Formats: sequence, C-alpha cells, structure tokens
Amino acid sequence: MRRWIVLTLAGLATLGLATQLTGCAGTGGARGSAAERVYVKPGEHDAYYAFLSGGHHGNIYVYGMPSCRYITTIPVFTPEPAVGYGVDEESKAMLGGFTWGDAHHPGLSETDGDYDGRWLFINDMPNARIARIDLKDFKTKQIFGPIPNLSAAHACPFPTPNTEYVFAASRFSVPVPNRPAKVEDYAKDFRGVIAGIKVDPKDGTMSMGFEILMPPFAWDLADAGKGPSHGWAFFTCYNSEMAFDSLEVKASQAEMDYVAAVDWRAAQKAVDEGRAKTIGGVPVLDPAEVKGIVYLMPVPKSPHGVDVNPSGEYVCVAGKLQAEVSVFSYAKMKAAIDAGNFDGDRMGVPVLKYEDVLEAKVPVGLGPLHTQFDDKGNAYTSLFLDSQIAKWKVGPPWDVTDKIDVYYSIGHLMASEGDTRHPTGEYVVALDKLSKDRYLNVGPTHPEAAQLIDLRGPKMELLYDFPTYLEPHYAQMIKAEKLKPITVYPLAENNKPGAIKRAEDARVERKGNRVDVYGLVVRTHFTPDIIRVNEGDDVYFHWTNLEQDDDIAHGFGILWSSCNMQVEPGETKTIHWKATKAGINPFYCSNFCSALHQEMQGYIQVNPRGSTVAAVQRPDPKKVAEVAALLKDE
Amino acid sequence: MHYLTDRFRPTERRLIWVAALVLLPVFFFPVLPIWTMKLWAPQYREGLTLMIYTNTIKGDLQNINILNHYVGMHAITPDDFKEFQYLPQALTFFGVMALIGALVNRRWVAILGWLAFTGFAVYMFSDYAKWLWHYGHDLDPRAALKLPTFTPPLIGMSRMANFRVLSLPGPGTVLLGLAWLLGPIAIWLEVRAASRGAPGRAVA
Repeated sequence: MRRWIVLTLAGLATLGLATQLTGCAGTGGARGSAAERVYVKPGEHDAYYAFLSGGHHGNIYVYGMPSCRYITTIPVFTPEPAVGYGVDEESKAMLGGFTWGDAHHPGLSETDGDYDGRWLFINDMPNARIARIDLKDFKTKQIFGPIPNLSAAHACPFPTPNTEYVFAASRFSVPVPNRPAKVEDYAKDFRGVIAGIKVDPKDGTMSMGFEILMPPFAWDLADAGKGPSHGWAFFTCYNSEMAFDSLEVKASQAEMDYVAAVDWRAAQKAVDEGRAKTIGGVPVLDPAEVKGIVYLMPVPKSPHGVDVNPSGEYVCVAGKLQAEVSVFSYAKMKAAIDAGNFDGDRMGVPVLKYEDVLEAKVPVGLGPLHTQFDDKGNAYTSLFLDSQIAKWKVGPPWDVTDKIDVYYSIGHLMASEGDTRHPTGEYVVALDKLSKDRYLNVGPTHPEAAQLIDLRGPKMELLYDFPTYLEPHYAQMIKAEKLKPITVYPLAENNKPGAIKRAEDARVERKGNRVDVYGLVVRTHFTPDIIRVNEGDDVYFHWTNLEQDDDIAHGFGILWSSCNMQVEPGETKTIHWKATKAGINPFYCSNFCSALHQEMQGYIQVNPRGSTVAAVQRPDPKKVAEVAALLKDE
Repeated sequence: MHYLTDRFRPTERRLIWVAALVLLPVFFFPVLPIWTMKLWAPQYREGLTLMIYTNTIKGDLQNINILNHYVGMHAITPDDFKEFQYLPQALTFFGVMALIGALVNRRWVAILGWLAFTGFAVYMFSDYAKWLWHYGHDLDPRAALKLPTFTPPLIGMSRMANFRVLSLPGPGTVLLGLAWLLGPIAIWLEVRAASRGAPGRAVA
C-alpha cells in the first residue's frame, strides 16, 4: 500500500515538473520552441499574409507568416516580362512609359480602422504615383499619377479608417507649378504639397480630392487618425530650415521641425466650396488664404515616423535624431486649436505650442524611426542606430519595458495588424537595412534582412531570421482568413474586347497593316496555331484562356522578341508584335501547363511586304470542331 | 386469374402510391443525379466530379474532356446522348402507370407497370455499360498517349492512367431502386398475410 502511495506521488511530481518545463519553453500564449512556432506543416497554410514593399524594385513581395515563406511577387511599378506585366497592352498603358518605381509603403484598405482585405495601395515615391492592387486576384488594377504638383510621394498612401482617402506629400520641394527657377530662391519659390486622393468605396478607384500648398520642408511620413482623431491625417517633416544644399548638415540644425495635422474633411469641403485655385489641373488650397485645414505641431530634431495608436488618442512621433518618441495628445491638440492658442505661423500654417500638445516623451533609444502596436496597450519602436526594437507602455508611466536586438539597422517594423484599431499582438517583423554576415555570402550586393519576433510573451522573443530581396521599407501583415482570393477568372464575366469564348470564333483579321489575331489557349494548343501576316504588319494577339481549372495558366512567347505574357484561366490579354522581317517566327507556351506543354506552339509566317494575304483567316474546321467539343461545359 | 384482377390491401396500395410519388416528378424536377463519377489524380487531390442526371451531365465536364483528349477519349457532351431526350419522360410515364395502378386498384395494372419499368431499367443499365465500353474502347488513334482499351466500371473503383475513378449510383438511382423494390415488397407482404390467414383479401 505504502509503495503505491510513494509511486503515485513520484508520478505526480514528474508530471508537475514536465508541465513546468513546457510552460518555460512557451511564453504567454505561445507554445513550443522557436522552431515549432514558425513551422507550418507541408500542405498547411500560414496564419498571416505579409505584404512587403519591394522598394526600388517597384513591386510587392508576399510572404506567409509565421513560416516566413516567400509566396509570390506582385508586379506594380516595374515590368515583369515573365507574366507580361508592362508588356501586354493594358498593363503597358497602366505603367505609362515608366519602367521603374520606388515602392515604400503598402497600405491595406480599412473599414472602421481595421484591415478589410479588399485592396492594397502602395506608393511610387519618385514618380508620385499610387497603385491599387485588388486582393481578389493580387493584380495591380490602377496606377494613379504622377500626381500633379507633387514632387516625390514618400508620406503615402496611409489610408484613412474607411479608406475614404489615401495621402501623398512632397518629399523634395520644387516650384509649384514646376517651372524654370533658381535653386537659391528655394524659400521664396519652392513649395511642398500634401495631397488627399479620394478612393471610391465600391471599386477602389482613386481620383483627385485636394492638394494643400505647404512650406518647402521635406514631407516625410504620414498616418491617418482613427477613433477620436478620425478625420485628421498627420505628416512629419524635416528640413524646416529650408536648406537646398548639404541637407545632411543644414537640415539638421533646428531644434524643432513639425508634424502637420490636416483636417481632411475641412480641406475637401473647402475644395467643394470652390475655395481652391487650380494649379496643374488640380484644386490646390493655400493655407494662407483658406484657414482651418492644417496646423503644425513642433517636434524635436528631424522626426521620421508618425503613428497613431490603436485607440486614436495619441500621435507618436519618432525622433530620428533624438532618442525619444514624442507622444502628442489628440485631445490637447484639438483643445489648443479650438482655443486659438498658436505660436505664429509658417507660410500661413498656424503653429501650435509644443508644451500645449505634448503628452509624453518616451526615451526609447537611439535613432527611433517607426512605431507599431499590440493588443495589450504596448508600442514597439524601431531603433535604427541601436539596431533594436524597444517595447513601451502607451500611457503612464510611459516606460520602456523590453528591448530586443535585430540584425542590422532596422528601418520599418511590421506588427500583426499593428497599425489598425485592433492589432492582434502576435508578431512583429524587423525590416533591416543591412544584413552583412547573417546569410550565405553572395558577394557585395547583400540581401536585406528580416526577423520574426514573437510578441505573445512578456518578453519579445526572436523566432526566425530570413533574407529578402531589395528592398522592403514598410510592410503589413493581415490575418489570412480576411482574404478570399479567386482561383480562376470566371469566363462568364470576361467581357474584354478581343475575348472569344468559342473555338468557332478563332480567326485572324487583317485591315491595312493591322492584323488582329483572336485566339484561344487550352491544354495544349493555340487556336489558331498558324498565322500569316506581311512584313511591316502590326500584329495584335488577343489570346483568351478558356480553362477554368486551378493554376492552368498558359504563356505566349514569340521568338526573337520581347513579346511574352501569361494568360490565366478565364483571362484575355492583348499583346502587340511588329512583323519587322519576312521569315518564320515560332511562338510557344512559355508557362509550363501540362503533359504536352512542349508541343504547345505555333508559327507566324511573315510574307514579304505586299504579298497577298486573306483578309480573314480561319483555322482548319476539323480542328475547330475538335476543340469545340472539348469546351462544351454542362 | 382472380389474383391479377383483384384489388390491393390498403397497406400495399399505399406502397404503390409511394412508387408513383417517386417516379412522377422526374420529368418535371430532374434534380437528383442518377450516377456520379469522382476522379482523383495527384494534382487533383480535391477530385473532379461528373454527375449524370436523367436529362444531362454536369460537373467538371470541360476539365475532364480536356484531360481525356490526351488519351483520345471522345469528349463527353450531353448532346451526344439521345437517352436524355426520353429518360425523364419514361420514368414519369412509369410513375403515371403506378398512379393508375393505385387509382384503379387493380393488381394487373401495377404489375404490368412494374414489369415494364424492370425491362426499361435492364435496358438502361446495358445502355450505360455500352457507353462506358464505348468511351474506353473507341479511342482516337491520333491520341498523344496510347492507353490499352479499357471499360470504366459501372460501380466501384478503377484506375485510368494517373486517375483513380470511383463510379457510384447517385441518389436518383437509389430512390428509383427503392421505388422498384416496392413492387416485390407489396407482393411479398400480401403473400405473407395470406399464409398467416390474416384478415383481408385472401390469395384466391
């Protein structure tokens, strides 16, 4: 009997110890080792989509979190010949002749201040453009801009809580409108611009809302107010010194620069009331004439990121050249504006008093750049110089409670839904500017570095370290279940000009020197697969992929040319090819499709100039009948 | 001969009503598949589906046809099946016969209907088997992949190239089968009742 009691007690003790040990391995809500927490079993999916800006690669990278697996790239401002982006007629027109963009800040659309998974906006800083990606098919649908009067859109797009607006602000001030001028006349002739771009609530189409003429400071970053501060947008700036050369030194002299607070409803109202002047074809408001739309809050030493906390009460501005985050109270700002407590103005923009609007200064560490949030009232600020993330409490006593090393020189950071009204508080990813020795050496062009950090415990915990291609700036992470992407384009909804839906309609039409090929692609053939044209003809291929099966995309590539594109199931795309030389030009399916992919090809017979070619060519009726039989659905 | 000209007991008559109820709507609401095929391949883990109704074929038809053309199988198109022109009508017709059988309450009417239904079912099964044989044997000699000829099974699992195919009767056929069974059940019930000397009409 006694032996049984001893054994039972020993067993219980072991069990208790085991529980204790497991408890130690996982912290807080998280379970298991770091390896277990990033492991996603083969065939299973990640909990989050992460959208990383591609920087001067001009696109967006899609990753799965927490596995940190690279999933795909969305071409946005840069041609992607593999899929024909910027090559087919429609996307070529959308790129507007640019082959480069510098994409910095993804901005997921929001409803009530939370990501709604509908669209993703991103800026092209140098060319002052904003793109909208539809998250139904992960395709760029609109590129708005170059926005008139704006010189580089860095503080962009940062959507408002119901995606009413996306914003853009000049980083490099120029004369407005741009005209011949002397750089020495900077303060007199140059101006910055803050733009509000309207977003159609139904389909996301962007259109011009308003522009505000600002002093020629370097407008840097932005965030939209939410909750109580909904209706406002905040923009940081440096170079309030208005230096035009040697900015490194001259723009770092003043003790204070500014955060501009824009009442975007008031700005839109002023435009609607006709109080704007038209510059460069868009309505521009001059704050010297139109009052009540924009105010400046002083902030120390060339601030960088501005981030509104989830409750919308505080505007957190990272000091960059000062080791502090200045936290402004929206309520105090509003009270000071209502009381008219100003300390003069800068070019007609009223300046509020620092001590009137400041709520707290948080000594986070050296080189604070950006702040994200969790669900427990904590903020996380990236420290470029310290190569760290600082965790601090939003609210008294405004303490820094934890720090973690990152590798190296962190710029932005991305917390899970960390800039919304309801951050999930699970992860933060450090997006570092330097990787140095972190990965296998690939020569002097280093990849960028990123680290996944667990936020669920009392202490931040490094889980994973992964390289990325050039060069993520900001990134956003959204719960995977909020996205419901399609897998094929429904053929019934394809109403593209040039689309054909029956094999019987496949044909080649020739009018003058223009040839239109109306063709279809299906495993594993082009119909038609012989096309006869004359030297000098402009040939437009309209290929429709009649497949409705997952992942059965076909390619169309012509030999000795830059003509290549991918046509996805249910999609029609048009590509232009010039028949410059008489001879035979093979074409083929460039996107591996199925068992007879190698056989999926055709020939363009280019006859000598002036040869007789039928006005309408139709493929062999027997072949058409065979293809038609395959395509009869239900 | 009295047996054939006699009436049903109320219980058996109710069964004939039920059979009529199952068969009558077929022409008007052909909503239940009579046969289903599910095809799986390594790259089609979710499976492709083919559903045969009394009047058409539905499911991943285009996809199955695109895949089938590699091995030279004829494209499956509803237009090819003259059966769809008469199958729903015929089934509803047997429903009408059951209805009349129940209304006039004469055994011979119901039995005649049942026999016709049975004959028709046998014909349809053999017809279906012929189609299956046809699809597996009449392969296009120009096909990219040459398969030995085959006959997909009427019921059960089989392998065709990289596909596993499960062929099963659909809920429509299950219902039709149950309706068909009501005939023998009715007669069996009567025979049993008679042999126990239960009240009601004796087997004369």
